[in-house]
Amino acid sequence: MQDQDLRSLSRRGALIGTGLAAWISRPARAEDPESAPPQAGDHLVFLTGSKKGQTIRSDDLPAGGPQMQAYPADPNGTVRNGSRLNLVIVAHIGDDGVSDETRAHMADGVVAYSGICSHQACPVSMWSNDRHAFVCSCHGSVYDPRNGAEVLAGPAPRHLAALPLKSENGLLTIAAGFVGRVGMQTS
Amino acid sequence: MKKYLVGASMAVLLMAGTAYSADYAPVTDARLKSPEPQNWLMTRGNYQGWSYSSLDQINTTNVKNLVPVWAVSTGVDSGHEAPPIVNNGMMFVSTPYSQVMALDATNGNFLWRYKRKLPEGFAALHNTSRGVALYGNKVFLPALDAVLVALDAKTGKVAWEAKVEDWKDGYYMTMAPLIVKGKVLVGVAGGEFGVRGFVEAFDAETGKSAWKTYTIPAPGEPGSDTWQKPDTWKTGGASTWMTGTYDPDANVIYWGTGNGSPWFGDQRPGDNLYTSSTVALDGDTGKIVGHFQYHQNESWDWDAMNAPMVVDFQNGGGLKKGLLTPQRNGYLYWLGREAGGNISYLKSEPYVPQNVFKGIDSETGRPEVDPAHKPGTGKAAQFCPGLWGGKDWPYEAYNPKTNTVYIPSNENHCNNLEGKVEERVPGQWWTGVAIPDFHFTVDTKAGFYGELQAYDVNTGQRSWVKRYPDSMNWGSVLTTAGDLVLAGGTNDRQFRAYDAKTGDELWHFKTNSGVIAPPSTYEVNGVQYIAVASGYGVDPAFQQLLMSDLVGWNPDVPQGGVIWVFAVSK
Repeated sequence: MQDQDLRSLSRRGALIGTGLAAWISRPARAEDPESAPPQAGDHLVFLTGSKKGQTIRSDDLPAGGPQMQAYPADPNGTVRNGSRLNLVIVAHIGDDGVSDETRAHMADGVVAYSGICSHQACPVSMWSNDRHAFVCSCHGSVYDPRNGAEVLAGPAPRHLAALPLKSENGLLTIAAGFVGRVGMQTS
Repeated sequence: MKKYLVGASMAVLLMAGTAYSADYAPVTDARLKSPEPQNWLMTRGNYQGWSYSSLDQINTTNVKNLVPVWAVSTGVDSGHEAPPIVNNGMMFVSTPYSQVMALDATNGNFLWRYKRKLPEGFAALHNTSRGVALYGNKVFLPALDAVLVALDAKTGKVAWEAKVEDWKDGYYMTMAPLIVKGKVLVGVAGGEFGVRGFVEAFDAETGKSAWKTYTIPAPGEPGSDTWQKPDTWKTGGASTWMTGTYDPDANVIYWGTGNGSPWFGDQRPGDNLYTSSTVALDGDTGKIVGHFQYHQNESWDWDAMNAPMVVDFQNGGGLKKGLLTPQRNGYLYWLGREAGGNISYLKSEPYVPQNVFKGIDSETGRPEVDPAHKPGTGKAAQFCPGLWGGKDWPYEAYNPKTNTVYIPSNENHCNNLEGKVEERVPGQWWTGVAIPDFHFTVDTKAGFYGELQAYDVNTGQRSWVKRYPDSMNWGSVLTTAGDLVLAGGTNDRQFRAYDAKTGDELWHFKTNSGVIAPPSTYEVNGVQYIAVASGYGVDPAFQQLLMSDLVGWNPDVPQGGVIWVFAVSK
């Protein structure tokens, strides 16, 4: 189930409950739009900065990084910040050196991934200027934004889930739900 | 009871069965004040925080025959930092992810287990636990999601839960509670997230809050003038993430506080009471009755989280009621326990090289800080020891037989930090510097990093030192009347016994992982045991990764917890 949406599996009761699984499994209230995972047609809103709460356009993002933190918002404007598992990081990395898989998920040179570290579920809110890469804010795992957020260094066991994007005249829209597991690894 | 031998290579005289029996021995104030030598009723063995046992069946003569008698996997990874707590043959150990195991202390038989279901999306910087506390017929676990959980000691069933704070705002709990007069005292972690620290007491029977004392004063309260910029006190840190100590005769609690938030002091001008301090609290009301701040306007992530040990020592020609504490800032402090809870400064000495203090006022203990080594916003500065300090949280130990304190320390490491102004997001890292910008460095010509040091508490002279050329030291220390010092802490998975008087290594055992948990010792049916959890993780593992880049250490110290119990083979 490496490349499936764990939370979809959870809703089907596919997770065998361990203490750790409880961290990332999603309860039945997923119908709550604030807690439901990002869906096709959602847009993204800034979590921080001068445009906090505003919809993200590709030209709002600093070229070359760092990433910005965001939450999905449904077409009615409901921000899906009811679960930290919906935290998204979005970065304008351009097209150079991007893997085919990542290129398929990006729009206007912008990539989006789950902002929850696969190690201990901390926000991946930091940026390495040296490596031009995402860094987890707890234990320093480094993720490659150009290559599917694969792990470059640190204790994280796996890449971040990707969030496919499309652009409508610069307005970033979510093309599909998370591709890959969100959050920490179960035991 | 029956006697038997456990295997040819583990020939140990054991008493099997149900030493804990159906009659659990309730823990009382009297027992906590004068804990029986055969039990280990609290994390550091006594209220005074000595990490000392008067048991001497295992001693310098026979420790070479120490062998494992049982072990059990905890089933979880991350840093195991809790000592086995033992009450009349029943052992309680907390593990990462807010779990508790209850075991027969003689044979490791499983009695019950509590696994907390942490909230969806929960994350903590340190997914650890530093222990449970016992009182009455209950076991108390401060859960990571800032909820205090009371468990029935016999069954593990939840007796009550009390919300301490909102984890979504960055609060979490990792320390063991301190029991004082029927109340369960807890503190909070979150100094990297912009919390406001406090100590809160809960009725052990009902879970009802009895008092709550913030470690940052609100406007108008004593000390509030040390927060010169409006509103900085609200998110100023002074977390309370380690267990306090207690002087039961004076009824005064001593609790350590953490760094200021964010890390760079120029963003919160003033001395910032009570960051990086020891606060003295009234044992009945929790009111602050005294304090000592180790350094002002904290800017180095040098928490003063460890409460000082309550120790009497020679001073000025007589025996002084004192406090002794090796601080993260690299200095060993001798303080006085004064009337009413006041704390006086007596003297201090660096136990590792430190380049920040140009001197310390002999009357007040206030350091003169070298601005060249004080980082600020937009101002990079190097400081040594680095942010993990001369020692981090692992416990020192005091042995009254040798009048010696044993300090697990690290040196020859530095950081170079430069602060930024960051927007605070509740529950997220908010220090003013990102992890990739820590600029951790070491002196590769020094020849060692970790060490275990012994100091005479009366003279301040170092008695001996053991140095580790290829490891940091993250090992809490246990010392015993058998003239032993026991500790792990190194990345080679070893658990060691030293001669308390000479520092000679007398025994070692290679465990499954790195030992960063405090050892404990107890006796059941005439047999003394030594117990410790081995499970590397959290900051030692992160630091090991940095050292793999800097000096080529193996970045992969195995993780996964095992509780080991040792006794002397016949």
